Amino acid sequence: MIEALHSGSFWYPLAFIIFALGAVVPAVLVVASRNIIHSALWLLASLASIAGLYLLLNAELLAALQILVYCGGIMLLFLFAIMLTPGVGDPDVRVHNQGLFWGLLAALALAAVSLHLLREEDWSVVPAANLRDVTGRLADALVGQYALAFEAASVILLVAMIGAIVIVRTEPRE
Amino acid sequence: MTPTPAIPPLEAYLIVSVLLFAIGLTAVLVRRNAIAVLMGVELMLNAANLNFVAFWRYGGAQRMEGQVFALVIITLAAAEAALALAIILSVYRRFRTVNVDQVDLMKG
Repeated sequence: MIEALHSGSFWYPLAFIIFALGAVVPAVLVVASRNIIHSALWLLASLASIAGLYLLLNAELLAALQILVYCGGIMLLFLFAIMLTPGVGDPDVRVHNQGLFWGLLAALALAAVSLHLLREEDWSVVPAANLRDVTGRLADALVGQYALAFEAASVILLVAMIGAIVIVRTEPRE
Repeated sequence: MTPTPAIPPLEAYLIVSVLLFAIGLTAVLVRRNAIAVLMGVELMLNAANLNFVAFWRYGGAQRMEGQVFALVIITLAAAEAALALAIILSVYRRFRTVNVDQVDLMKG
């Protein structure tokens, strides 16, 4: 199916448009939803669409990991944390803070400046055709040249796990 | 095999990435609920990841740095989400709220 997408048929741009809209529109709804559970579910849709964009970019392993780690693990953590804290969908609670105007202005300014800079550059590079064995080469790089980053990531995960347990542990009552 | 003009240019991916980053920044700046702020951070990390992978793909795709970067960022995002949500639960126990503008003990 990926080969069909990359053979230059009209499916590739169509899939790109679908995934791009599927990433950006739910992201807007993440910010706009009053109900925090709705925000979490829109975030899930956005992250899944980004996995689709990874597929279009020939990063198959990253697409699978995006689904597993983000749509699986991180989303589960978010939903747990939402259910353990109050204020889900209460219509009387303000969802935006005092800085609504300035926050929107800052984000719009950032987007405008970035898009302007993007337009000034010439991005007419053509992607290499016939990529072969991307995941195999990624594995070679991970345990070869970048073994140190790989090991450091495992240490960071261990430290984060222990740290999270220590932070949420309740103090034993006297 | 010659690449066909039907393939979207690199710029298209970069525009999607810019929009995602700006939306994530908006969530960080304007939402009150700390969990929604964290969702904005995740969106920004994903925008950066999309940039890495797009530049990897359009930059020849011979060296694997772009994908290695993206993998490490996904790992760090998982660790960050676990720690941040633990901190949010801890803050909720202490202050009985998760709204970031009400947790202002250090405000002068």
